[in-house]
Parts: sequence; structure tokens; C-alpha cells
Amino acid sequence: MNYDVLVIGSGIGGMESALKLGDMGYRVLLVEKEASVGGKMILLSKVFPTLDCASCISTPKMAATVHHPNIDVLIYSEVEEIRKLPGGQFAVRVRRKPTFVHHSLCTGCRQCEMNCNVAVPDQFNFDMVARRAAYIPFPQAVPKKAVIEREGTSPCSFACPAGIKAHGYIALVRSGKYREAFELVLESTPLVGSLGRACYAPCEGECTRNRLEGPLPIRRIKRFIADRYYAEHPAPRLSPPQEREDKRVAVVGAGPAGLTAAFFLAKKGYRVTVFEAGPQPGGMLRTAIPSYRLPKEVVARDIENVVALGVEIKTGCRVENLEELKNEGFDAIFVATGTPRSRPMGIEGEDLEGVYRALDFLQQVNEGRRISLAGKTVVVVGGGNVAVDAARVAVRLGARRVIVQYRRTKAEMPAHEREVVAAEREGVEFQFLSAPLKFVGSGGKVAAVESVRMEPGEPDAGGRRKPEPVAGSGYRIAADVVITAIGLEPDTGAFRKILPLNDNGTIRVDPHTLQTAVPYVFAGGDVVTGPSMIVKAVAQGRRAAFFIDRYLKGEELKGVEFDYRMPVVDREKVLGRQQSYRTLPPVEEGELLQERPGDFSATELPLSEEQARYSAGRCLDCGVCSECRQCAATCPAGAVDLSMKEEQKEYQVGAVIIATGFQFFPAREKPQYGYGKFKNVITGMQMDRLLAPTRPYNAVLRPSDGRVPENIAFVLCTGSRDRSVNNPVCSRVCCMYSIKQNQLIMGALPLADVTVYYIDIRAFGKGYEEFYNQARDMGARFIKGRVARIEEKEDGNLLLYYEDIDHGGKLARAEHDLVVLSTGLLPNPRVPELFGNAKLELDENLFVREVDEDLNPGKTSIEGVFVAGAASGARDIPDSILHAGAAAALAAAYVERIRMKK
Amino acid sequence: MDGRVRDIREVIREEMLMRDKILDLLKDGPKTIPEIARALDRPGHEVMFWVMGMRKYGQVCEDELTDEGYYRYRAVCKEEC
Repeated sequence: MNYDVLVIGSGIGGMESALKLGDMGYRVLLVEKEASVGGKMILLSKVFPTLDCASCISTPKMAATVHHPNIDVLIYSEVEEIRKLPGGQFAVRVRRKPTFVHHSLCTGCRQCEMNCNVAVPDQFNFDMVARRAAYIPFPQAVPKKAVIEREGTSPCSFACPAGIKAHGYIALVRSGKYREAFELVLESTPLVGSLGRACYAPCEGECTRNRLEGPLPIRRIKRFIADRYYAEHPAPRLSPPQEREDKRVAVVGAGPAGLTAAFFLAKKGYRVTVFEAGPQPGGMLRTAIPSYRLPKEVVARDIENVVALGVEIKTGCRVENLEELKNEGFDAIFVATGTPRSRPMGIEGEDLEGVYRALDFLQQVNEGRRISLAGKTVVVVGGGNVAVDAARVAVRLGARRVIVQYRRTKAEMPAHEREVVAAEREGVEFQFLSAPLKFVGSGGKVAAVESVRMEPGEPDAGGRRKPEPVAGSGYRIAADVVITAIGLEPDTGAFRKILPLNDNGTIRVDPHTLQTAVPYVFAGGDVVTGPSMIVKAVAQGRRAAFFIDRYLKGEELKGVEFDYRMPVVDREKVLGRQQSYRTLPPVEEGELLQERPGDFSATELPLSEEQARYSAGRCLDCGVCSECRQCAATCPAGAVDLSMKEEQKEYQVGAVIIATGFQFFPAREKPQYGYGKFKNVITGMQMDRLLAPTRPYNAVLRPSDGRVPENIAFVLCTGSRDRSVNNPVCSRVCCMYSIKQNQLIMGALPLADVTVYYIDIRAFGKGYEEFYNQARDMGARFIKGRVARIEEKEDGNLLLYYEDIDHGGKLARAEHDLVVLSTGLLPNPRVPELFGNAKLELDENLFVREVDEDLNPGKTSIEGVFVAGAASGARDIPDSILHAGAAAALAAAYVERIRMKK
Repeated sequence: MDGRVRDIREVIREEMLMRDKILDLLKDGPKTIPEIARALDRPGHEVMFWVMGMRKYGQVCEDELTDEGYYRYRAVCKEEC
């Protein structure tokens, strides 16, 4: 797309240039980085010296700009690069930031803002109050449309294989919205309670708070949500969708992957039947994980979420022939049979009485069979989670001694560290670098484990040191019971006829779509990945449901995106947002561990409501938006779309006008004035916001305690005409905007005293001198003298130390209850970086240099590039408007000139 | 006065956490910032961020101005919104 002129920045200068050019018939592209046009002027209270309402003057111009037929406005966009072309035109690259709200649908109703659960400083109120991650910049914004600030995916949410929005439910819990939090997790899995109890929580390992005092207890917060919801809702509030599909899907296996796939397919309206070989659904959740970690009633309640959608679960149905299911009328099949078999060790004595395979052992216990290990010595062989579960169960069954034998080192154990620590505290012994050679029997029963010491050998292909037996180190461990837990494997022999399998028996699938070589058969979970975490199986179930749905609709599978997430946000950037952090220690672990527990009661205390909210309150909102989806849920127009992506756009333009304005001097760089440290020291722009009709407070109040101030000081030339901060230039407007504020304050607070500390009053414009005199006449007190430093008193009042020039230059002290620092104007440092193949010159103060200021104001060092308004130096509003008009005329002339050249 | 000033971003983030506590306090009637601060045992300038954030989003509104120069704030019930 081509335009005659690109205008960068939509403050008063940019708008004025664009409007002048648009009125002349030129096609203008106006690019604004914020979500509204208007720049800084729209944020002002009134303008000087007329005291006209800034909003009343700005808003018609803003609306005219956006609605002008010759002006296209790109808000929330940034010019990335400008390159001059041989013909005199310019190639422009613009980055359009995703707004995550379809502006064609947004009505500006603010429901998204009202329901957003992330509070951040409001840059449009100069950090005096909060805004939300979902926001409309200010009440007079044009366009009045919401945007959602998202810096990326929060590390916790990004780490979740199942795509559970951890940051989202944390933010909801922080706000006390527990039902909404449960419903958010339910959008990603029906197994909310099970994951809250038994997930190994990869999210917590990625929590940015790890770099401070430790991670949030994200899993336990999920448990809190589920416990609370299930207590309030013994039965699900779900029901089958009203619109049902005719097509039927068979899910083989009722473990986490199968249940999750069934849940999502049923939500889509498919008729889903789950076939489970075992007597009850749940898979490993029910058979393998001990009830002290995952109570079976929690699993049952999770499964009710699935059944409530109309899913039929047939237990005791072992499926061996997939083609038969197809012939029975199922249009697609999802195989999720897990890894239900313990891998045999292949050593002598494995068939002896008293030698169990871990899964069988755990299943029997979970099914309630009475197994007494009272007084017995139990050896568990293996180092994974199943081995540790088996050992801890053996302790609970009364074993006198439980030994876990692992052939590698403790550091190499695949079991979760938390489980290992818990096992140790419960009295489980560990023998590392030790392996069984054979199980020795006596009278057909196991009596000992013939073992050998191991040592780390040469690294294998994966770089892991393979353990080697130490010669002559054989020894025996007396054992009454042995439980082998050296790995799990799938039971897929029956599917071999039609499905290609991998060497380890897992089913071969397209890793993206989970489709097998047989188009109507999909497979996922442990039967594809091998033994893994519950949450990974859930992820596979979700993925499978997504692609089965597409398959059944006859849609393309290849190259289709699933579960898009923005790139993970940089943790260093997150931590860099704050200058300091208060220490917020994590809540205690809540493990109820004791030596030799005798029953299967839960080993972890739930979080109290207070603990859950406190913990959620530690969240740093890494991605800014938490993806809690309350905006989407409450938007009446359905305008929220969190899948929007950034776009890069290329344009060709005839001329460029830089109208990027200025930035304020950062008041913190004058530490002697205490800004950012003393609560009642504010900047001039903050005072302007307090005086504006859309002010952050209900009146002009002290930030320290909300009291109406009675004695206000203005310190002029803060950060201007000041070589100590490398800014010797006069900012031209500070005197007048301060005088404007004096008058407004005296109008709003008739009893307040106003004192202005100045070096020199610049009242150069039309009516300015009169305006200054008017302020004096109204009672403002002007003291000539530079303020040296400010001190804060106990009550929040401020002591100013200054040189009183009019009274002989003596050093004096005065007390005020609010101090306004009239900060100077600085250039925008990014402007020269925009130009790729031409140098944009700056003046000695780093504003854009006007190369022919006297005769051609607005002309820069690059032919065809012009500058408007305060980008070339501090200006007041009338001067900026005049300057913008000049820049527009120059740009128009340039466009005509290159046209004639053509 | 109220000790070290915390980072504004951190204070503002806590609005979501403090909202229910403040609304709970205001059930007893309108309160000034210092009164809320005392009840929460939190600094007045932090309470200002939370109360003004809540005011912006329609959960509280100002009431009378006291002789000491403080506004009282009261909870806005949903029907009123």
C-alpha cells in the first residue's frame, strides 16, 4: 500500500500535519504507538493561557484525524525502519502490535477492564493509579477501543504441557474468584482435582519468583480451587451440548489421556464411548498413584466431569480389534491405553512367591485388597516414581524395613525429588549404586536379593554414565518381599496387525496430529510417549481431540496450529520492571510426614483460603495479561481474541513527518528532591492529571494519605536549565504550565497557599505575561531561588531548603504539604534509529535538527523527511500547531516535486 | 513517615488482593484513607493506590469531606452501579 506521507506520532503536532495534508488531498498514513491518538495534550487539564479545556480542544481533532477519508491511522503500532528509495520515496516497515480485541466489534463498554484481574500502573495517569491489563487508555480515547497488554506467555503457563493457564487461575484466586478459576482449569482438562493433588507441576519450576524467595505453590493453589469447587458442587454443572454431532468416537483407555480426549470431543458434540479394560475408569490415577497422594474420590469426581457431558464409559471392556470398532459404527478411534505393564527384569527368581511387579502391587492395594507386610523386609528395585510409591505404600502396610535399590546415584533418580525426600522421612532406606543379580528363594518364596555394587562407567550415547558392576562386590540383602519397578511398557501387541509400532511397543503417530498410519485411528498418552507425567497425557488427550474433530469434519490436519502460545516472556525483563521487591516468603510445604505412617491418609495439608490468596498475591504477572479469559467471558460483543499475532507491514510513502514529541525529564534523576521516595513529591504532569476532569483521584489530594493539601510548592526548572543533569536548555513551557496549575488549584482549593520557586519566569507568548500576573494577583507567591534539597517529615510534609535571592540570597527553609516538580522536556531518543540508510541529524540537545530553521522550519537533514512540533525542540501547543502546518506544507511540496521528477 | 516506599508496581499489583479486605472494612461505613490504613495496618500511600484503583473501577466512591481535610470512601453496591 502506498501513501503520500507517513506521519509518525499522533500528538497535537502529528494530528495537525496529518489533517492539513489530508485536507489538501494527500493520502496520509499516521502511526501511533499507543492505543489512542492524542499524545500528551489530551491528558492535560487545561491549556494556557486561555484555560480552555484540553479535552474539549483535543477530542474534535482526534476524531477528525481518525475519521478523515484521506488519513489511515495505525494505533498500537510502531515504525520499525524507514529506508530511502532511489526515486526519493521511502520504504517503511511498521510493526502492528496485537490488540487482542477486534476493534470492529469492540463497543468500548469497558466490561473487559472491569473484569480484568491484573492491575498495573496506569501510564496515562503517570503511575498515580492502576489500570488493568485489558484497558481503554483513557475516557476520551480515540478510537475508544480496548487493548490487552500481553508481553508474552507467563513462564508457568508456558511450561504446562496441557496448556493450563496457570497464571490465569492464580490471578483469579488472587481476586477471590475461585469458581472462575476452576472453570478456567476445566477449559484445559477435566482432571482438575487429580492434577491439583498429583501433578509434578513443571509450572513451579519455571516460576519467576524462584529467583526471589521461591516459587508460588501453583499446584496446591489448583488443589485449593478444586477442593473448594467440589465441596460446593458435589455434582458437575456440565451437561451435553445442545447441538450434537452424528459422528461417534471410540476412546480406548480411560486414563488421563483418554478421559481428556473424551471430554473435549464430547464438548464438541460427538457421541463418545470410552472402553476401559479395568473394572473402573481412571487408569494410573486410580491404579498406580497411592491414595495418600491422590484420594480416589477426587479421581471419581474428576471423571464425573467427563460423564456429565454424555460420555459413556464401558469398564471391563478390553479392545483388541480396532477395525471391529470401526465396523460397529465409530467414525474415529483414540487409543490411549497407557503403559499398563511393569517391565520384567529378566533375572533369576522373578517368578518366586513374594516377588511383585510394582504396578500389580500398587493396583492391588488401590483396589483395597488386604496385603499385610507387617514385620517384613521389602526390597524395591528401581529409581522412578513408581518405585518410590511402592516403597511408601510398603511402609504403610507395616513393613519392618523398606529398601529401595537403585543402580545409579541419587542425583540420577528419575523420581521426583519431593517424593524421595518424603520417602526418606517416612523411613524408607535407599541403596544407591546397587543392582540385583538374582532373587534367591527358599521353599518357593523369595528370601534374599543377591546384589552387586555398581559404579558410574563410561558415558553412553546420551552422555549419561552407564553403571558398571564393581568386581567382587557381591552381597545379599535379606528380603521377604521384592517389588520390581524398573519401568513400564505398553500392551499393544493386539494392535500390531493394523498399527505400526516402535521397537518399545509404543504406537507410531504423527507427533503433531497424533494420527496413526490408519487415518481414523489416533493415539496418545503414555502408549505413544512411554511412561510420562499425568499432565503430559492430558496434553496428548487435548491434542488428539482437536485433530480428531478436524478429521471428522474433513478439514486439513497438516500444518494446522494447535494450542498457540505467545513466546515465553523473558524472566530478566520481568524482574527488571521493579527496582525493589518486598520479601514474601512461600507458605510452608504442608507435608504431614511422619516416620512409618500406618495408614493411607493424605500426606499434604490443603492451603487455607488465606494461604491460597496470599500465595497467589506473590505472583509477578510475568506476561502482564494472565490469560484468565474473564475479558473474553464477559465481552458482550465477543471481540476478545487472545490468538491475535503481531503483524509486520510494508508501505511505500512519498515523504515522512516525524512528530514523535518529547519526553519528560525523569524526576528521580534529581534525588535531592526525593521524587519516588517522598510520597508527597509529584511531577507537574501528575498535578495536571489531578486537575483534569478524568483525574486519578476524586480531587487534588496528597498521595501519602488522601488529605486535601493546603500549602503547595512548585519547583520550576526541575531537570531543565540544569547542567548537573546534562540538560542546560530551557523547556519553555514549565513556567506557564505551572502558572496554569497555580490558577486551577486556587480555583479548586480556595484556601490553599501556592508558592512557586523559580529562577526566571519565561512568559514569552501572547497573553503569557498577563497570565503570570493574574496568578500573582490571585495570590500565588513567587520566590526567586533554586531549591537545593527537600526533606520529608514524619507527617508527610516536606521541608524545602532554598536560596532566597530577592532577600539577599540567604538560605531559607519552608514547609509545604505537597511539592510539584515542574519537570523539563527532553528529546525522544529513538527517532534516529528508525532510518536505515540515511542519517537523521540531531542538534546539540539531541532534538531533531532543523537544517534550515529560519527559512524552512521543519526541514531535516534527510531530504523528504520533516519534523513537526516538539520533536525538534520544546514548544508550547500553539507553536507546535504552527510548526506542524509548516512541516505539512514542506512535505506536500516534496511529494509534488518527486511526482514531477517521475 | 510510613517507612520505605515499595515499588509502585508491586503495590498496585496488590489491589486485587486487598480489594475484598477494603470492601469488608467499608461494610461498617465510609472511612478515610488513614482509617483504612490503620485497620489494615498498611501505609496510607499504599492504601491510596488501592482505594483510588477501586474508585476508578466503580467499587468505591467518595463520601463527605471531614473537617481534617480527608474524604471518606464508601463501597458502591452493585445495584448502584
